[in-house]
Amino acid sequence: MRLLIENLSKEYRGNVRALSEVHLALGPGVLGLLGPNGAGKSTLMRILATITQPSSGRVLWNDSEIARHPDSLRAVLGYLPQDFGVYPNLNALEFLEYLAAVKGIQAGAARNRIRELLELVNLTEAIKRPLGGYSGGMRQRIGIAQALLNDPEVLIVDEPKAGLDPEERVRFRNLLSELSGERIVILSTHIVSDVEAVATRIAILVHGQLIANDVPEALLALVSGKVWEVVVSSAELPALRLKHLVSNTAHRSDGVHARVVADAAPENAARPLDPSLEDAYLFALGRQRSRANGGAA
Amino acid sequence: MRKAIAVWAIARADFLERVRRYSFLLTLAFALYLGYLATTGKLMLRIGNMRGIFNSAWIGGLLSLVASAFISLAGFYFVKNTIERDRETGVGQIIAATPVSKFTYVLGKMVSNFTVLGLMVLILAASGIVVQLVRGEDRHIELWKLLAPFLLLALPAMAVVAALAVLFEAIPFLRGGLGNIVYLCVWIAGLSLPLAANTRALDLVGMFVVADSAINAAHLSFQNSGFQFDLGYFDYPLSTFRWEGITWTAEIVISRVIWLGFSLVLVALSAILFDRFDPSRGRPPRDRQKVTPISVPERYTASTQVIATTLTPLAVKQAHSRFPGILIAELRLMLKGQKWWWYLVATSLVVASAAVPSAEARETRDQTYQLIFSAPHPIARQLPAVWMAGVVVALLTGCGFGFRLLLGGNLRGLVAWVIGLLFIPTFALSLGVWSGTGKPFEVLYSFLCYVGPLHAIPQLDFMGSAPATAATPYPLIYLILSCVLAFAALLGRERQLKS
Repeated sequence: MRLLIENLSKEYRGNVRALSEVHLALGPGVLGLLGPNGAGKSTLMRILATITQPSSGRVLWNDSEIARHPDSLRAVLGYLPQDFGVYPNLNALEFLEYLAAVKGIQAGAARNRIRELLELVNLTEAIKRPLGGYSGGMRQRIGIAQALLNDPEVLIVDEPKAGLDPEERVRFRNLLSELSGERIVILSTHIVSDVEAVATRIAILVHGQLIANDVPEALLALVSGKVWEVVVSSAELPALRLKHLVSNTAHRSDGVHARVVADAAPENAARPLDPSLEDAYLFALGRQRSRANGGAA
Repeated sequence: MRKAIAVWAIARADFLERVRRYSFLLTLAFALYLGYLATTGKLMLRIGNMRGIFNSAWIGGLLSLVASAFISLAGFYFVKNTIERDRETGVGQIIAATPVSKFTYVLGKMVSNFTVLGLMVLILAASGIVVQLVRGEDRHIELWKLLAPFLLLALPAMAVVAALAVLFEAIPFLRGGLGNIVYLCVWIAGLSLPLAANTRALDLVGMFVVADSAINAAHLSFQNSGFQFDLGYFDYPLSTFRWEGITWTAEIVISRVIWLGFSLVLVALSAILFDRFDPSRGRPPRDRQKVTPISVPERYTASTQVIATTLTPLAVKQAHSRFPGILIAELRLMLKGQKWWWYLVATSLVVASAAVPSAEARETRDQTYQLIFSAPHPIARQLPAVWMAGVVVALLTGCGFGFRLLLGGNLRGLVAWVIGLLFIPTFALSLGVWSGTGKPFEVLYSFLCYVGPLHAIPQLDFMGSAPATAATPYPLIYLILSCVLAFAALLGRERQLKS
């Protein structure tokens, strides 16, 4: 089971470059694809989902090029797009039955699978309600269920947690962890905490370029010894932000506890902290932007 | 087998999604209205000064031609949104990532279209029994003679219309308003060309099949028969003859089966042209259009960036009304971003339906209703501005005709024309508010334009374009109707605000 992305580029009409020479090799496990909004994540997801054709480069699924043989991947693909809708006048059962047929699943097997999935995403009680009356979170759960209909070997989820409440987010995160055993799961998001708990590998995409692709430990090592806690007053905070990369702040009785990523301690009273993946992500973004602007991080 | 199941599933889901919408009732109402026209004698098939007596055969022939001719117009607009719906809802992206082939998908959509159109035909066929009983000229109902023309004439025509609707959706530049106008031209050509050229091979509607048989029964020749459809009132007597229906020869049946085959060819063509929801084959996605490549001025990420938060205070917090400003903005929204052909068509008024877009549907389509409805006084401020913008556009596009009336001193005609200018945007506004989509306006307006101003039927000539219309009470009726529609738009907007 191998998904290989080779020198993938995508240019939209009007010379808008969305992806530039992306190279990735994926095996079983969860790849957390991080990047700011507009980084090209959804374009990459759409290419991997066989919806969009690349301008150059190729994607190989078990050595078969998906641009030429898309059905080899589609047969084992589960895809949850970033912006997807439903047929508002169908109920959950009808909608999932429809997609099961489109995915080529036999009616009997589909019925059992749908029942299990609706239980899994906690929608059994709303099974007969028209989807138009569902909340954003419920629709998202329908999206998750449809992505899992064909027991996919490759699961692509693009910004999957919009609309989910905290409990549902945890539930979804656990579900991804459980699913990831013998599958390739690609989880695209701009929220680091979404991938922190589940990703076995992390890739960072900025302006269409892949700036990092490694295991979480290696990314954390980038900022090892570079994360500090500084306590400042609220008035001093803007100045600190101008000077340093502040990855987080928290107001306490003694002032603002700012989490700073810097090569050296920002001030004498700074306390070293264990780095988080968010620190590493922001550090990598800052470094990339500095390089792009010809400066130093 | 698996493909057949997929076609069935696509068609079923699409059909269920459609029939559970309120707008579907409009489709059924249209079919019933056609039945009503036939029952009351306002839609007449005649051969010179003769018509058949209302037995099962004649009613079947008449109504199946009505179905083929009129449902093929309105029905096209009703069903031409199936792929678009998948595109807009995003369901298309999910489907695109499945193994379903383009042909299977497009065929499923065509089958769904065909089912909807077939249902309209079925309603018309059922109304045939009512027509026969109400007319009472021959109460002996012969089901085969009544239904066979629907089965063999109307349904193959509907299959072609269903496939054409899918084809128009698969071709990017025919998806929107231009496609609607092009189809209107295709439809007019499809009805008139075979008769004008006396070419049976192009007879999708089945006009010749009915005409040849009926003319034979009336002992006339085709050239001298004056075989035609009439819409409206008839104040002249028609003599009658008895027609026992079409003799379904193998040649006729094969000619109809060929149309079914043609619809499959159209489906195959649609499959080739269909982009499988790949956004990169159109314009770049909105979130990509303004992405600046690589060079970014800030030092750190957006989340850490310091942004100046000093905004200039507003001297007056809320103006009571800025109607001119809103009107200009509405005009800009209405006119900006249209394709070149829109301006061309609107300017020349070749097809009046392009003149006033159904502006009120925009709030739903563009999802701006939350912004508009949360602004102060959304009804008092925005709704009249939308309406006025529509009047201005109608005035601009129709001023040539107005000048002609003015220069000719035709004041009555001018009054009728002004009423028409008020009617069009009010009609669009009301339908847009209540349906949340521009489709009903497009459909009804195209139909109205065709049978009203273009065919000078006074009852439907809302623009007063025929010289005789100005002298009738119909302009006054349209003025009253405009007031009623304006009130309905207000009520509709109130309802939207409360919901």
